[in-house]
Amino acid sequence: MADKNKTGSADNFYNEILSPCELFAARSRSHKIPARGQKDFYPDDSEEQRQRLQQSLDEHWNLIAEERVERLGNLVKATWVPSDRIVELQTPAGKFWQTMGFSAEGKQYLLPEEALYLMECGNLLVLHQDLPLSIQDGYEMFLSSDGVSLQQYQVFGHLKRLGYVVHRFDPSSEPSSYVRQLNLPQSRERGGRQLKRKRSPSPTPTCSHTKTPGESLAENMEDDDKLPESHLMTSAEPPDPQTASQRSAGEGQARTWWMMDAPELEVDKRSSPGSPSGRLRWNFSTIPFPDLGSTSRPRCTVPVDPSLLPRDVTVGVCDLDSWMRKINLRKVKMSLKEQQREKRRRRWDVNKDREVQRCRNWAEYHELLARRQAKRQGRPAHLWNRKVKPLHDPTQPISTSELLDKISVVKSTNLLEGASRLKGSEEWRICFNVYQPDSVADFKKSNPGKPYSRMCVCSFDGPVPDLRVIKQLAFQSGDVLVVYAVVDHGDISFYTFKDFQLPRDVYT
Amino acid sequence: MAAEGVEKTSEDASSSGKVCTRFDLEKETELRFEVEAGEAVDQVDLELQTGMAEVFGSELNRNKKYTFGPGSKIAVFTWQGCSVNLYGKPEVAYVSKDTPMLLYLNTHAALEQMRKQAERENERGPRVMVVGPTDVGKSTVCRMLLSYAVRVGRRPTLVELDVGQSGVSVPGTVSALCIERPADVEESFSVQAPLVYHFGSTTPGTNIKLYNKLTSCLAEVFSQRCEVNRKASVGGCIINTCGWVKGSGYQALVHCASTFQVDVVLVLDHERLYNELKRDLPHFVRVVLLPKSGGVVERSKECRRDARDEKIREYFYGFRGLSFFPFSFEVRFSDVRIYKIGAPSIPDSCLPLGMSQDDTQLKLVPVTPGRDLTYHVLSVSSVEDGDEDARKSIVESPVCGFIVVTNVDTQTQVMKVLSPAPRPLPRHTLLIMDIRFMDMK
Repeated sequence: MADKNKTGSADNFYNEILSPCELFAARSRSHKIPARGQKDFYPDDSEEQRQRLQQSLDEHWNLIAEERVERLGNLVKATWVPSDRIVELQTPAGKFWQTMGFSAEGKQYLLPEEALYLMECGNLLVLHQDLPLSIQDGYEMFLSSDGVSLQQYQVFGHLKRLGYVVHRFDPSSEPSSYVRQLNLPQSRERGGRQLKRKRSPSPTPTCSHTKTPGESLAENMEDDDKLPESHLMTSAEPPDPQTASQRSAGEGQARTWWMMDAPELEVDKRSSPGSPSGRLRWNFSTIPFPDLGSTSRPRCTVPVDPSLLPRDVTVGVCDLDSWMRKINLRKVKMSLKEQQREKRRRRWDVNKDREVQRCRNWAEYHELLARRQAKRQGRPAHLWNRKVKPLHDPTQPISTSELLDKISVVKSTNLLEGASRLKGSEEWRICFNVYQPDSVADFKKSNPGKPYSRMCVCSFDGPVPDLRVIKQLAFQSGDVLVVYAVVDHGDISFYTFKDFQLPRDVYT
Repeated sequence: MAAEGVEKTSEDASSSGKVCTRFDLEKETELRFEVEAGEAVDQVDLELQTGMAEVFGSELNRNKKYTFGPGSKIAVFTWQGCSVNLYGKPEVAYVSKDTPMLLYLNTHAALEQMRKQAERENERGPRVMVVGPTDVGKSTVCRMLLSYAVRVGRRPTLVELDVGQSGVSVPGTVSALCIERPADVEESFSVQAPLVYHFGSTTPGTNIKLYNKLTSCLAEVFSQRCEVNRKASVGGCIINTCGWVKGSGYQALVHCASTFQVDVVLVLDHERLYNELKRDLPHFVRVVLLPKSGGVVERSKECRRDARDEKIREYFYGFRGLSFFPFSFEVRFSDVRIYKIGAPSIPDSCLPLGMSQDDTQLKLVPVTPGRDLTYHVLSVSSVEDGDEDARKSIVESPVCGFIVVTNVDTQTQVMKVLSPAPRPLPRHTLLIMDIRFMDMK
């Protein structure tokens, strides 16, 4: 059996039978993949280099153009079902069935990437409209940007060739964060309902296998159901800050634990005291306190405005002089030391200070005191009197660990921190579950167990996954490592992000 | 004082079987009477017959008997004239014309004028601090001013900084209480949802740093409340202070005036204090000197101690020990953490560089439960259990209640407590007070 890049008459291909000597030549052919050798970074325009490059290229072309010879008996036949983007086996499956394919309704199926890989390995012959497909046909028909892309297939094939078991990743099979929290036994272990490995909807969101009109209608309805939901999701985004602000306002209310005022009253906030005009807040010359101490006091109290008094209380004027005589003027017993201190204090009057006289309210007075305090402490004003202040005041001693905590402006974070709130993106998703090669012997498709890692495929030309993506995928994957396979025109490199804690050598 | 208008009605064995004395009071006079202190003393009932009268700012209902227990010292004042009956044998009872009530009412009028202005200009109302030595009637003046303010429709706040004789909560605490109705004639203000902080001792001098710190805490919370509650803001506050007016006590008064940003300071009967405050407070604070009432009686040490005891008993058993029924249950030592605020002071030379002494005064010292815990009053701090960060703020956290240790069993590591609520304790951080209470009655 042969595959050719150039297609001719279909009948010829299918019925081509090689002569013994041709077969012999095919078998004795070297199966070595040509070595690539050192990379020439710098073109030096020499004939020698050009020849070497040409030779290498030719070798590759030859390799690709080579006719593949397989025994018919080793080939499993299958047909391509384009409506479902799936391959249905016609003859019994080979050894690969242990790790690939799935059964449904009594039939055996292969996913397109699996079929393509088996075609490349020379284990499978796929027919389409009763004609065999070449590998090139397979690449063109099986791979698509909305299903398994070329890059994804490259990663798939690479891992398969290394011996790993690779399956599509099904996000719905992952327990939600809620289930994880509850620590329930996983659903796939519940009974035998899902014993057969189901076709996972990801990465190819294809339609069902044989589509009756009713089913497709139901599916459309399902789609319709989904559509408004997604609309809702997107429309729910913009008002989000609003609700957030409402919530913060609510929190502000909750803080006032002994509030009993109507909420609208708190809206008209008082203006900052004393700001509107330069005058004092209270004009005590018009507010008549019956002060016995003041020297300029009237002989009697002024008549009181009845509106200021409780109901049914009427009051006359009161002679202050008589009270003056009764006030306590007795000398306070003081020790000599106290008397001296008293004498010193008597000279000191806050209000003789002109700056204090200029203060109109407590806020200004406090500010003045703070200013003086700072001056006295000798703290440089240019450091402490601005918006941006030093992180720590050296006059306030704290323990070393607290200090370290205070100066660690960039706090360390956990990869999963806040990840549960992130919404998944279309662009980035986990494509494959990967199981280790040594597990192949007792591998069960129905119960594959915990994967060794999960693959997210990205292109070398495409964007780099940002922190949001990394967080979201790591959260989705749970305790299984997410590996990023970066495909650079056939070269694949693997990257992963691991959490680690910066060491802190201070113990309290 | 001339007891004019006294008419002893015949040994009229009225309904109660007590001696009835009738007093006719003229306008702007007051009847002062004291009930003998001590056990097994008859209570004295007061009944208003005609006219209108008030007791410390709260109006009396006509034909309703008010009962005053041993040790009460009451003044019934009338603005218009009235007649009252006293049933029972008061230790002293006389009518006095010589009352500073007019001055106090004038003070109220001035404060009310300020509140009106505050309302008009959308500002905060007057914050008043009442200061003076002991036994000049500070608490009574506060009570009167608050009652008058409520009677004209204000919602003032009482800030109680007198740790010795708290009018709101048990002694050894500082507290704030929103006043919504005039004081009850017998029971004083109804205590609903007060904000209480643990101080732990009956004189501020034992830990003046803590006292100032708690004053600042109260001021902060009150300011926050004023920001969201317009009525409270206009109502302002009336701050009752300790009778300690010298040295650190005086400094504490100045600190209080500063943190609360008071507008008016009422100095009762102490000219020197008046002059000092005028010097030390900025000019925009109005300092007012007021006389004390002639009816104020000096209280002895024992009398003060009894009053404290009574206040704690009232916390557990309700007014006159009738309305509440406290619970008694056992608490394991391992379930609670007991602290004392303030470590013994260390000489400065022993301190780490840059550390100052106030760090020790506000420090929490764990107390190992032992027999000496018996009869101590413990505050239940409202700090969340198990929160390590919250531990630092225990000092600045309000108190949710009090318990008294009635018995300690070191063998089984269990203590028996008297608690106003059934078990379990709402929180498990306890602060020990110096104050002890023996549940004897």
